[in-house]
Amino acid sequence: MKNSKILIAIMALMFVFLIGPFVVIIISSFSNDAVMRFPPRGFSLQWYEKVLNIQMFQTTFWMSLKTGLAATFTALLLGVPVAYTNVRFRYPGKNVLELFFSSPAIVPGLVIGFSLLRFFIYVTQVPILLGLYLGHTAILFPYTVRVVSASLRNFDPGIEEAAVSLGSTPLHAFFAVVLPNIRSGLVAAFILAFITSFNNVPVSLFLTGPGVATLPIQMLIYMEYYFDPTISALSSILIVLTVIIVQAAEKLLGISKYM
Amino acid sequence: MLLLGPGAMFLLLFFFSPLLFVLAESLRGAQGQVTLARYGEVLSDAQFRIVFVRTLKMALIVTPIAVIVAYPSAYLMTKVSAGKKSILMSLVILPLMTSPVARTYAWIVILGKYGIVNQTMGALGLFKEPARMMYTEGAIIVGLLQLFLPIMVLTLVSAMENVQEEVEEAALSLGSGRIGCFFRVIVPLSFDGLIMGVTLVFTGCITAYVTPAILGGAKVLTLATLMRQEALVLMNWEAATVIAVIMIATTLLLYNGLRLFKPRNLV
Amino acid sequence: MSFIELTNIDAGYEKGKPILKDFHVSVEQGELVSLLGPSGCGKTTTLRTIAGFIMAEKGKVVIGGRDYSNVPPNKRNIGLVFQNYALFPHLSVYDNVAYGLRRRKVAKELIPEKIANVLKLVSLTGYEKRLPSELSGGQRQRVALARSIVIEPDLLLLDEPLSNLDAKLRDEMRAELSRLQHQLGITMIYVTHDQVEALSLSSRIIVMNEGNIEQMGTPEDIYERPATPFVANFVGFDNSLTGTVRAVQKHRVTVEVNGSSFVSTRVTQVAGGLSPGDQVALFFRPDDTSLTDEAGENTIAGEILYVNYQGNTSSYALKVDQESIRAVMPGRPMSGDTREIRMRIDPEKLIIERV
Repeated sequence: MKNSKILIAIMALMFVFLIGPFVVIIISSFSNDAVMRFPPRGFSLQWYEKVLNIQMFQTTFWMSLKTGLAATFTALLLGVPVAYTNVRFRYPGKNVLELFFSSPAIVPGLVIGFSLLRFFIYVTQVPILLGLYLGHTAILFPYTVRVVSASLRNFDPGIEEAAVSLGSTPLHAFFAVVLPNIRSGLVAAFILAFITSFNNVPVSLFLTGPGVATLPIQMLIYMEYYFDPTISALSSILIVLTVIIVQAAEKLLGISKYM
Repeated sequence: MLLLGPGAMFLLLFFFSPLLFVLAESLRGAQGQVTLARYGEVLSDAQFRIVFVRTLKMALIVTPIAVIVAYPSAYLMTKVSAGKKSILMSLVILPLMTSPVARTYAWIVILGKYGIVNQTMGALGLFKEPARMMYTEGAIIVGLLQLFLPIMVLTLVSAMENVQEEVEEAALSLGSGRIGCFFRVIVPLSFDGLIMGVTLVFTGCITAYVTPAILGGAKVLTLATLMRQEALVLMNWEAATVIAVIMIATTLLLYNGLRLFKPRNLV
Repeated sequence: MSFIELTNIDAGYEKGKPILKDFHVSVEQGELVSLLGPSGCGKTTTLRTIAGFIMAEKGKVVIGGRDYSNVPPNKRNIGLVFQNYALFPHLSVYDNVAYGLRRRKVAKELIPEKIANVLKLVSLTGYEKRLPSELSGGQRQRVALARSIVIEPDLLLLDEPLSNLDAKLRDEMRAELSRLQHQLGITMIYVTHDQVEALSLSSRIIVMNEGNIEQMGTPEDIYERPATPFVANFVGFDNSLTGTVRAVQKHRVTVEVNGSSFVSTRVTQVAGGLSPGDQVALFFRPDDTSLTDEAGENTIAGEILYVNYQGNTSSYALKVDQESIRAVMPGRPMSGDTREIRMRIDPEKLIIERV
């Protein structure tokens, strides 16, 4: 059909626009030129070598990893009971509370980071690292609630009732029957939340300081001073890692249905 | 209620309190009185006005383009076989899951002085000397579009998935063409998704930091980069505080304002 | 030339895998034709080919003398009623019904009257402002019907329109459809898997199986004189025995089943060409059997496995000549613990098909 050819053309252009830049980065990362030139004039692996030799990238990578894991874990711990309550029970004011719990997703990340910084500097002298952890937990919280809620909605409450009728306490039924059945939702929530934290810039921007920086922040700092393809190499590594994780998560969990 | 307690406590302590603190800060005068003086200062500042208008303008450009590109693509994605759809969906999700720093960085390679565009145009003899495309509003617009298109596509796909195939067929059998059917049936039935997508993309554009930071730098500031500059470079915490509150206000206004849109009777 | 002619049609959902192969069918103006068959038999494919949602890979679709083979669905003036009604959820009853009129650029001032008339026809006056979600199943069905007849289509296609209704509503709507068809004289093609629906509504029934037409005929033809074992089975000739033809006379065929002799006076198209020695199957309905103690013509020995009391009737599960047979007899189950009985089938109730 004539119409659908136009549709296919629009979609194809869109994917070129979305995916093309990734191809460009990966090609440019193998350049032998110290200037960002495309197409590159020759091939080398020197920028990958350089990434591995810059101590700050390693330090901040670990920082991002630790912050991401801690914040994701905390957000799940807080989010699962909220998701469970919202899916299973009706109570007055539920809409308001749902809005309350989703508000960190609405408020701009930049503002969240900024307000945590101001608040903690003014009120207490807590280490900035704690602020970073709290800020990340806050933005991941609504994420975990949403993903876990989605998988709880697909789980028949009758099965849980059956467990209770067979002698489980509600708490035992939750751990013995509910949790195992929403496992893939939990894993999906974990992966999505972790990636969100790992990639985050706006919240981290104000919650980093001397000795405390995440990898994306360190990349931005580096880009302010250097124009060589080091960031191409580092970005390529991140892209490949993301492709692997997303593909695996999609295959194993069908992660797209939780987005 | 016991189950909601820990989460609610966390948000109250570490999310709402800091926000309220910042709001209070922005209203506090030198002698501790409540005043709007700081807002007056910021709002009357010429640079702030330029930046604010620029930020809105870019959001107003990016959002409709995202809708125009995403709607047909998303529609097509609900029509293809399950296997193809899953491949296309992962191609949409992949950019969404990739570090925005990496994604935005790509545009330096493409738009930079020795980037693809300049090299190609130079080779074709169309540009005498490299055009400056970095640190322009255009660069930021391109970057924002790439950043937010996937979100628009995802919201529209999930909205259109719920439109029954038969309803479309009914429209066709009653005499609508494909295009008429799209505007009279598909769009009204996915309107909530459209509003959601527009809200997410528009507010995203207004509050995005990474894209204007990399592609606009200090030359083309937006609200987000201006706020950072005031806070971390100029140490003008008062101004940053006011900008933060203005950002929240704009976001909340958009969230609630756009929700009032109901699908007009398009028939 | 008939009103609707499908000739040499190859059509299906996937290219190269047609469900209909070299398919022919014709429908006269004003007829109500049912396409009857189990799911997957090609009836819906046929309907969608006529509607234009499936473009036939090969062959011609001619309606009212015009070749529609390459005409898209929105350019065919065909009304379509869907199984799930497919009402526009965002539009009121009024706007749902007005949809097709507006697409046809019917003069604005004529629309309200046309809608009022059609809503009156389906007894929905007063529901104009309601949304589909505020209607019951039967009411939605009526809106779907009104929406498709208000455009005065050349042809109305109905795809299992009653299957989502409960039994009582289904009877009502069936009567209503029948009334509308007589009142409007519109040509209708009706897809169903329910033989009762097809029998009670249609002027003609087309029984389909695996993309082929098994039999075409009046409801009586189909019900009383099924032409193939498939049709026989589909219209309730649930029981079958196998035997050998012994004698063939003009309206009388004698078959031997494991030593018992059966006479059939019901002559079908196929039975005409039989000759002695042919292997055949005997088909008969459960309620056309009777159980007796007496031996004689058209009886055979059997064993009662169990009896079900069903109020007016009793249903017997029998074992006859190694076959499972169901017999339904009026009244309460036979008293006593009789196990060995003889089953009798009237000569005019027995049909014979070559196997």
